[in-house]
Amino acid sequence: MAGRGMNLTLKIWRQAGPKAKGEFQTYKLGGVSPDMSFLEMLDVLNEQLIQHGEESVAFDHDCREGICGMCSLMINGQAHGPDKATTTCQLHMRRFRDGDTIVIEPWRATAFPVVRDLVVDRSAFDRIIGQGGFVSINTGNAQDANCLPVPKHNQEKAMEAAACIGCGACVAACKNASAMLFVSAKVSQLALLPQGEPEAARRVVKMVAQMDKEGFGGCTNTYECEAACPAEVPASNIARLNREYMKAVLLSDEMP
Amino acid sequence: MKWLLNALSSSLGRKFVMAITGLLLCGFLVAHLAGNLLLWAGADVYNGYAHKLHEQAALLLVAEIGLFALFAVHIVLAFRLTGGNRMARGQEYAVKQNKGEGDGVGWGRPDSFMFISGLVILGFLILHLSDFKFNDTDGLAPFDKARAVLRTPLRTAGYLTGFLFLFLHLLHGVASTFQTLGINHKKYNQLIRIVGVLFSASVCIGFASCVGWAWAFTGAPSTTPAPAVDQATVSQAEPTPEATAKPEAKSEQTN
Ligand code: HEM
Ligand code: FES
Repeated sequence: MAGRGMNLTLKIWRQAGPKAKGEFQTYKLGGVSPDMSFLEMLDVLNEQLIQHGEESVAFDHDCREGICGMCSLMINGQAHGPDKATTTCQLHMRRFRDGDTIVIEPWRATAFPVVRDLVVDRSAFDRIIGQGGFVSINTGNAQDANCLPVPKHNQEKAMEAAACIGCGACVAACKNASAMLFVSAKVSQLALLPQGEPEAARRVVKMVAQMDKEGFGGCTNTYECEAACPAEVPASNIARLNREYMKAVLLSDEMP
Repeated sequence: MKWLLNALSSSLGRKFVMAITGLLLCGFLVAHLAGNLLLWAGADVYNGYAHKLHEQAALLLVAEIGLFALFAVHIVLAFRLTGGNRMARGQEYAVKQNKGEGDGVGWGRPDSFMFISGLVILGFLILHLSDFKFNDTDGLAPFDKARAVLRTPLRTAGYLTGFLFLFLHLLHGVASTFQTLGINHKKYNQLIRIVGVLFSASVCIGFASCVGWAWAFTGAPSTTPAPAVDQATVSQAEPTPEATAKPEAKSEQTN
């Protein structure tokens, strides 16, 4: 398969199903353009596999522009590859060199079971969000400007937290497979705004309970999550989660 | 009070308890160190302090039970946290690299081996208690006992290793406590990091200085209770671990 462009050796985790035993398979791929994205490189591999009558490699993807959070992949031991603030779909092959060996694994966490090959089931995140309940926002005519004052710094912090695309890189990169950055982002984006205030205590208590139930690990303040987050959600949100939780436990009517 | 129990046994609550017990243990370290540093002030001051302390039998008992509880809770939660976190990962990665800088200090990232550094501290703790608490040596004054125990190559190596790992544990632990307790603010974060480094370094240098003292101190043994017969025995031999239990008076000390 050699040709112009880069020649790569890919070691990819193959697993036929959730219960099947997985293993690494090695593929040689030639003629890889440095301008391809990482997922396009896998598309090329898959086309060749199909031509040879082999099973294509299953991986998650959707928007391919860094906003949906579907793509995942542990690339050479790094969530979403070696770049900061970059999803796998935004990673380009020019980041690698001709002749490189690239190890590709799925996210590893008990709470994210492998579905097939590189695809994991991240519905644990959906269940945590579900426990957060709802906020009531009236539709209809736009409100008068400034009738609901939000300090600019709070609005900015809420926006920073809301940048989370729920990809799970924080869990994948954390040595404890902890979901604290994700949960803290979801708690923070609402706790910081008046619209989210009324249910703040109930939300944090229920979301933390669900996080524990899903079997994520505990936080040891190692901050690998923050470094791996493609949306650069800061770990100061985790401190806010700790505060919000204790506030809810000690001062609200909620019964944890 | 079931709500409190539920909250404290959640993953966040357990980390809270770890942080509080860790912080209280740091307070204990400061008090313990303050006492130890009196070694530098001479036999009379140190022996006086030790006797005063041991006169407070009731107070001491309460403090010891409290201390034991702190250690027990901290250690049980450490095992639970570490075991739970291993389970949460399930299958290990074939390749794993870090993207962040951890504590922002090199030295192999202390945040990545808190359990190991904790275990070394636990080992040191057992050695230390067997040396000083459960070892009623033949009526040596506290000052002389400290010197006799510390002034052996084996104990010196063991104690210094213990302090080194305590330093590494606290290097991550002190700053980490603030985040766990919800304190993370751009105005204070740098200060918290500096306080963490300064605290861990000064505590451990302080304790290490006591080992240094044991080797540097060449004055006469204290005059308090040691039996006269032993005092008179002059031995030329280098101190060996077995000799630690006995008072040894080398020729250069007697002048
Ligand atoms: C003088 C003795 C000790 C002191 C002063 C101390 C102090 C601390 C502090 C301040 C923390 C940080 C808490 C937090 O991040 O919220 C901590 C965490 C921890 N300690 Fe200790 N500790 C001591 C002994 C031990 C022992 C004997 C173990 C036994 C195995 C241990 C295991 C741990 C573990 C596993 C953590 C959590 C690690 C992490 O969050 O990254 N510690 N300790
Ligand atoms: S595919 Fe949507 S973020 Fe990568």
